Amino acid sequence: MMQATDKQENPTRSGLVTAPELKRHGFFRNVFSGIKSLLEGMKVTFHYLSHPSTVVTQQYPENRATLKMMERYRALLTMIHDENGLHKCTGCQICHDNCPNASINVVTRSNPVSGKKELDRYIWRMDSCTFCNLCVQVCPFGVLKMDGSFEGAVYDRRLFVFTLNHYAGPAAGLLAKVADPEERKKMIEPRDRYSGPVPLNGQELAGVKALKKAESGCCGGSGGCCSDSQGSQGSKEMK
Amino acid sequence: MSVHITTLDDRVRLRQDDSSPLSTQEYFVNMGPQHPSTHGVLRLVLKLDGETVREVIPVLGYIHRGIEKMGEHQSYRQFVHLSDRLDYLSALINNWAVSMTIEKAANIELNDRIQVIRTLMAELQRIQSHQLWWGVFGMDLGAFTPFLYGFRDREIIADIFEETVGARLTMNYIQPGGLMYDIHPGFVKRVKAFLQYFKPKLAEYETLLSGNVILQERLRGVGRMDGQTALSIGATGPVLRASGVPLDLRKSEAYGSYGKVAFDVVIGKNGDCWDRYWVRLEEMRQSMKIVEQLIDNIPEGKHMVMKPAVKIKLPEGCYYNQVETARGILGVYIVSDGKESPYRIHLRTPNFNNLWAITETAANWRLGDLVAILSSLDVVVPDIDR
Repeated sequence: MMQATDKQENPTRSGLVTAPELKRHGFFRNVFSGIKSLLEGMKVTFHYLSHPSTVVTQQYPENRATLKMMERYRALLTMIHDENGLHKCTGCQICHDNCPNASINVVTRSNPVSGKKELDRYIWRMDSCTFCNLCVQVCPFGVLKMDGSFEGAVYDRRLFVFTLNHYAGPAAGLLAKVADPEERKKMIEPRDRYSGPVPLNGQELAGVKALKKAESGCCGGSGGCCSDSQGSQGSKEMK
Repeated sequence: MSVHITTLDDRVRLRQDDSSPLSTQEYFVNMGPQHPSTHGVLRLVLKLDGETVREVIPVLGYIHRGIEKMGEHQSYRQFVHLSDRLDYLSALINNWAVSMTIEKAANIELNDRIQVIRTLMAELQRIQSHQLWWGVFGMDLGAFTPFLYGFRDREIIADIFEETVGARLTMNYIQPGGLMYDIHPGFVKRVKAFLQYFKPKLAEYETLLSGNVILQERLRGVGRMDGQTALSIGATGPVLRASGVPLDLRKSEAYGSYGKVAFDVVIGKNGDCWDRYWVRLEEMRQSMKIVEQLIDNIPEGKHMVMKPAVKIKLPEGCYYNQVETARGILGVYIVSDGKESPYRIHLRTPNFNNLWAITETAANWRLGDLVAILSSLDVVVPDIDR
């Protein structure tokens, strides 16, 4: 306690608060004050018992319909597709380079029509992702976003590795410049959620069949909607 | 001076004294790595005589992830997210420690808005951390109710973080050059609602646990540690302050916006479990005071002073910086060779030093007191091993 006075180089506007000493009294007073303290504690707990309005427990699976995550909640990386189903990713691989644990693999190809470099598959490994949000931040085109669909549990770990883009082809801006709809169709090739060129991406493992393309197709819209079908499908595969 | 190195094998070899028929037998018991009251994978080898603890030997390494080594292969920006995983209850403050070291080394100037929001976040995190500690402390001493109450109130701060940061535990929010996001429009309202909600709850904490005679008797005078011992083992944070040493970096170094706010440093008298308990409770009050002073006048400005994709390179040299987390001083030491990733990162984590207080304080107390002492030190095991 000798240090209490010195070492305080910057005594701006305030000092110290010292812990109070616990007092001991005579035997009988101790007994009664002890019982009183226990009763006061009981009063607090009985107050909660008798007031159902203070209950804060959420009945989780039952309240799914009303349960809404915060808009910034980071649970599932998704690629933003506009109303025409087009994304803005150019395959520049900045996110790929900035990912701290190599959870992102951006596979590029050259376009069959124009020969330009473009996105083939955007493969994300949910199992090694730490949800640090760096990919979303560094993307110069605002392609990615973190979605709030947190129900990501699956029965097959291969289901954690999936393709985020719905088609291989040029970004929305470039595609809009192509006037001929026939040529536009040729530039685009659809991509399903699984069966990419990366190990574990829906491929065959020892004793486990490869995920079928028809089964593993994404339901199209926001990425999170597949989680239910994934789960049941995964369990089917395991059998 | 010679250094005597012992292995665990040497230390658990018993030298029995059978000279008298009255001499008792000492024996060893492992507490952990899966013991519920060690809060994680901490293993304590206890030398017991009956129920009396003669010696405590902490054995570490069960959750070693090599974060320092991993840091050598990551860019400075990427390393921040690993600091979440040190003391996960002070994730934002750890982010701040790393970011501040990098900013000082790279001469990045921050505006007032960033500093104030960082301070606010750090104080909310401190309250949240102490709430969880309070609940778990009660549970370790046999009272399950505080655990539920602590978690109930912690949830409100978790919601504040979830809204602004997007995460509840591993934040990665405070980054070199500013903050990941600006605060959410609802942030100020939520924080004010929390302050209003939590003040009466803190009084309830006092009635429920602090005033409880059983708790008082179990804490009073147990596990005493004087200031000199605490300093010599390098204990920091509430553990050191409970021993009567008013060392608080928020006061003595006044980083962030701590220089602009009035708050008190909380110290204890005897350095026993009761003081450590009370210091943390009072620190929650002081943190609320800081939040109250800052929440109404968050200055305008940008939330990030540099672009997120810009690579950071530190000039060659060694850099050290430290902040006060909820558990003590977290120091970040970076050796840079001028490249994009550090040559070496060393972390001086508060829990590692605080843990060794158990070897000084627990000797000759009963096994039940050991649980109280360990809980009053408030160790987070991933921070010890990293």
